[in-house]
Amino acid sequence: MCPPEHFGVLYEINPWMHQEVAVDVDRARDQWETLASTLGDAGAEVETMAPQPGLPDIVFTANAGIVNRDCFVPSRFRHPQRQGESPHYTAWFAEHGFRIAELPGSVSHEGAGDALPFRSVLLSGYRFRSDAAAHVALSELAGVPVRPVELADDRFYHLDLTFCPLDERRALVAPAAWDSYGRKVVEALVPEPLPLDADETAAFVANSVVVGTNIVMPACPARIGRQLEAWGFDVVVVDVSEFQKAGGACRCLTLALDVALP
Amino acid sequence: MASERVEVRGHIIDSLILAKVLDVILDAGADYRMVDVEIGRTSADPSRAVIEVQAPDEELLDRLLTELLVHGANRVAQADAATVATDRDGVLPEGFYSTTNLPTQVRIHGRWVDVENPEMDCAVVVRPDGRVRTEPMHRVRAGDPVVVGRDGVRVQALERPRGANPFEFMTSEVSSEKPKDLLVAEVADRIRRAKSMGAKVLVVPGPAVVHTGASPHLARLVRAGWVDVLFAGNGFATHDIESNVVGTSLGVPLTGETPPEGGHANHLRVINEVRRRGSIAAAVSEGWLTGGTMFECVQRAVPFVLGGSVRDDGPLPDVLPNVVEAADAMRAQLPGVGVALMLASTLHAIATGNLLPAGVETFCVDINQAVVTKLADRGSHQALGIVTDVGLFLRTLADHLAP
Repeated sequence: MCPPEHFGVLYEINPWMHQEVAVDVDRARDQWETLASTLGDAGAEVETMAPQPGLPDIVFTANAGIVNRDCFVPSRFRHPQRQGESPHYTAWFAEHGFRIAELPGSVSHEGAGDALPFRSVLLSGYRFRSDAAAHVALSELAGVPVRPVELADDRFYHLDLTFCPLDERRALVAPAAWDSYGRKVVEALVPEPLPLDADETAAFVANSVVVGTNIVMPACPARIGRQLEAWGFDVVVVDVSEFQKAGGACRCLTLALDVALP
Repeated sequence: MASERVEVRGHIIDSLILAKVLDVILDAGADYRMVDVEIGRTSADPSRAVIEVQAPDEELLDRLLTELLVHGANRVAQADAATVATDRDGVLPEGFYSTTNLPTQVRIHGRWVDVENPEMDCAVVVRPDGRVRTEPMHRVRAGDPVVVGRDGVRVQALERPRGANPFEFMTSEVSSEKPKDLLVAEVADRIRRAKSMGAKVLVVPGPAVVHTGASPHLARLVRAGWVDVLFAGNGFATHDIESNVVGTSLGVPLTGETPPEGGHANHLRVINEVRRRGSIAAAVSEGWLTGGTMFECVQRAVPFVLGGSVRDDGPLPDVLPNVVEAADAMRAQLPGVGVALMLASTLHAIATGNLLPAGVETFCVDINQAVVTKLADRGSHQALGIVTDVGLFLRTLADHLAP
């Protein structure tokens, strides 16, 4: 994770961002610290990197790149406003003993925000931020098969706003955010999906972090909570509304380091 | 039509990317041809598909390729064509690329250039001025850069017309069981349409056209301006002239009377008289030849090529006895030809079929099903075979076009 010292909405690169809406930096810091400690309580070990002035979205470490075992594939950001974050992510991973594997310069891919593991494949969204053309290289570099899912709603511009793997069989899914082929791909992949409706998706419910049987969520409607608990998950809701002003929630603020695929 | 090859790689089956790419192509109003598909051995291995995207024009193709890029389908990297300069006149370098009659393009300095005159069984020469032409073996000159190998060469499959056409004219079909009147009317229509678009009509008549009494009908078509080029041999021209001057064809009266004695030599006497005058045109200008197809060709300045063969009597002075020269003379008349009508001819029809680019509408008429099948199968792209008596066919066609 990366603390929100310099977080704010300084530009608009997604439909949630409006520069005239001010971020309450103190509130953001409190929300971030609550998220970090909640994750710690759930059993996760949280490591942090240093924030940077002029890079407000560096808090969204999910987009740093793709991690698999000791390999880190840095992202190639679509927008210049976030491209400045890449050297900092790469430096952190290099310092922490990861092998850096670079994607070709011509493709965009925005990391774990757009590619999530489910069983032994990496489900990877494309269209708004990441390119389908990156998938072959990503697959080779990370050593994992990649299955593309085309994102169809520009409000849900990263896969992690529409998909949350829960365990080997289950996931939170927002099928309306994908095209028909993407829906079929996920249907074939996930034995027990829990679909979110339009309101639930817009409340960032899919952007949750799973630590073992604990699930840390930005919001949890009653029916979703009931099903998750029936499945044996412990649900904790953490308010991250300041970060939602920039179009991200719980999962966007984290990057899992202990991924090991297949 | 414009085309380009794209490649999709990865887990293209499981991810439905291949299905999606093909759907995107069709939804855009374009078409595709699967060039190659390699499926990974296990589910962990990636697969690869090469797809040739075919669009009606470059603009649509460009937009489509941009959209396909979004789904991960990239243009296939292609190499320029390799050329080797011949070291001798009339001898091609080893490994020369051998052409088909399909529209062909050659990649030079990264750009696809059309081959100007597609013809099957030739080599491709890249001229110093950048133009690219097919050349038959005997016409290459020492130093000509000839395309070798298959890199940087692509052919375009002709568009298959979509939609129902009751006679399916654009398939290679032999029609012995279809209503002839309707077929002839359709042929007449195609000829009218070709002429209205500025295309030329080529007719290749065999001697049976005269034997069946149909030469006057062909003459009618020439007189009315429906024939732009005529290819034939010594036989057709001789009997056409014989039928007008002596009233017989190979000695057989066309009026149905009993053949007179000595009639079998009529054609020799006719050939002899034309030889005496020096040419068919001279025979016309001297008033000795006053009717028939060759007469009308001379009167209307319709170019004709009479190719010689080893069986020829005489031959007529206009016949080109050197067959290589005759084929070159035929080649020279091909630019602009849009419709070819092969009438009861085997030798010259096949020779013509070998020279024509794919895309020329070809109609083959013969009483013999085997001949028609053989001709219609040549280029197989837009050929229609009609099994019928050529006399009846030509009379009906002339009634349609020159009533």
